[in-house]
Amino acid sequence: MLRFEQVSKSYPGGFVALDRVSFELQKGEMAFLTGHSGAGKSTMLKLISLIERPSTGRVVINGIDLSGIKPSQIPYVRRDIGMIFQDHRLLMNHTVFDNVALPLVIEGFTGRDMARRVHAALDQVGLLDKARCLPATLSGGEAQRVGIARAVVNKPPLLLADEPTGNLDPDLSKDIMRVFEAFNQAGVSVLVASHDLGLIARMRYRTMTLKSGKMINDGLMHDEETL
Amino acid sequence: MSILFNGRASGASDSAPGLLQKFMMGIVTHLRQAVSSLGELWRSPVWTMVTIAVLGVSMTLPATLHVLVKNLQQVSSNYDQSFEISLFLKNDVTETDIATLVTLLQGDRDVGKVRLIDKTAAMAEFKQESGFGEAITFLDQNPLPDVLLVTPSQSKPAAAEALLNKLQQERFVELAKLDISWLERLAAIMSLVQQVVYTIAALLLCGALLVIGNTIRLLIMDKKAEIEVMKLVGATDSFIQRPFLYTGIWLGVFGGFLAFLVIELMLFWLRGAIANVTQLYQSGFSLNVLTLQEFGILMLIAIGLGLVGSYLAVRSHIKAIEPC
Repeated sequence: MLRFEQVSKSYPGGFVALDRVSFELQKGEMAFLTGHSGAGKSTMLKLISLIERPSTGRVVINGIDLSGIKPSQIPYVRRDIGMIFQDHRLLMNHTVFDNVALPLVIEGFTGRDMARRVHAALDQVGLLDKARCLPATLSGGEAQRVGIARAVVNKPPLLLADEPTGNLDPDLSKDIMRVFEAFNQAGVSVLVASHDLGLIARMRYRTMTLKSGKMINDGLMHDEETL
Repeated sequence: MSILFNGRASGASDSAPGLLQKFMMGIVTHLRQAVSSLGELWRSPVWTMVTIAVLGVSMTLPATLHVLVKNLQQVSSNYDQSFEISLFLKNDVTETDIATLVTLLQGDRDVGKVRLIDKTAAMAEFKQESGFGEAITFLDQNPLPDVLLVTPSQSKPAAAEALLNKLQQERFVELAKLDISWLERLAAIMSLVQQVVYTIAALLLCGALLVIGNTIRLLIMDKKAEIEVMKLVGATDSFIQRPFLYTGIWLGVFGGFLAFLVIELMLFWLRGAIANVTQLYQSGFSLNVLTLQEFGILMLIAIGLGLVGSYLAVRSHIKAIEPC
């Protein structure tokens, strides 16, 4: 489903963000990506969502090499990938409904069809009653769940999350992870970047650990000393 | 259309059954973006007003000059048609001589119309118009000659001059006179004014174009975060730029209408003063206002300016904004 083949990414000035990283995420698999800040987690997600391009190596999604994707095709690739951000990136002067509807509007949905899908997505994250609110009136956990609803509203096969619980307390973090688990059980492949090691260890999913751009551990994480 | 996942239904167009429905959804999307960009303008009224005012003023000046030139042309065209040759007849001609000459001239192919102002009639008119009044009655005899006003059949300066030379040779003619040099000068000045007007118009419209471009650029910068998010969730550049293009169109609509209103108000205000002048000059001049067609052209130019200005801004700036 998602495969990295010897991917390196270095920035002008010589900083190496990723160093020959390889892994494969199966269809319907859920995995965590961890490591200190600056270890290369965000860079990996940016390579998948085509915000950045790798210096060497190949990123392949569903058998298609992303290096063959032209700039004009990037928007269509992003429609297949649901993305969730630490700062949730909601449009602050639009309602929750409008925020979640954005990917659908972009794809040309209108009227009742769109409303039905938006309500379904909000229902999945438990925020159906907040549809008419502005993001500023929501708590941090609620805003993050709106971000998730926006990412899943057009039912992408792959879900990426970059530090989705970075600003949340442990209980809320657990709730958010449960939401990801639920989507994974519905067949969506999920990759979550997080440095919340305690939470990850309790979730007992495959965990990939990055350290200064190198993949140093790939598998179930048993104790926190591996770092 | 999904690039990565073959067969994945994505987008409304994949689930819509018919071509008509796709078309309708496209129209709905466009309408929604047009209305929402109107709302955007409403949200930043000061900048909007300033831009509309700049566009309106830039359109008003050339349009006013155009109306001015149009009216001047109307005035001068009244003169254009009257290449009248005045034949001042010798003092000793008799009425039969005049009658012979008139029949002779009327038979000429180059002559369009002949009108006789005999000396008695001329005297009466002079008495009335000149203001000398009764003083003229003290003259021993009428000093005015009989005059024939000859209009050439072709109203071209060259034809009129040829006719003039021919009539000069007539036996009873003392003096033939045709004054067309001032007409030629007037025509030259008119075309000069017209070119100046077009140059000024072009400069002003360039200025308006830049102002619109700058306003749209500020709007884009203002919405940088929003554009980044839209790009992240898969919006194409053309989807993102469409509302800004509509914003440009709206600015054009309002700017053009403002220019129209200003011109109409100005003409309304001038009408009284012009009526006074034309009454004094006893001319049948009436002020030409903008026709419906000219109003249409004015609006089209304004909308075109808005669209082009915003397109220039959009093309360079939306591509430059990339999520990071």
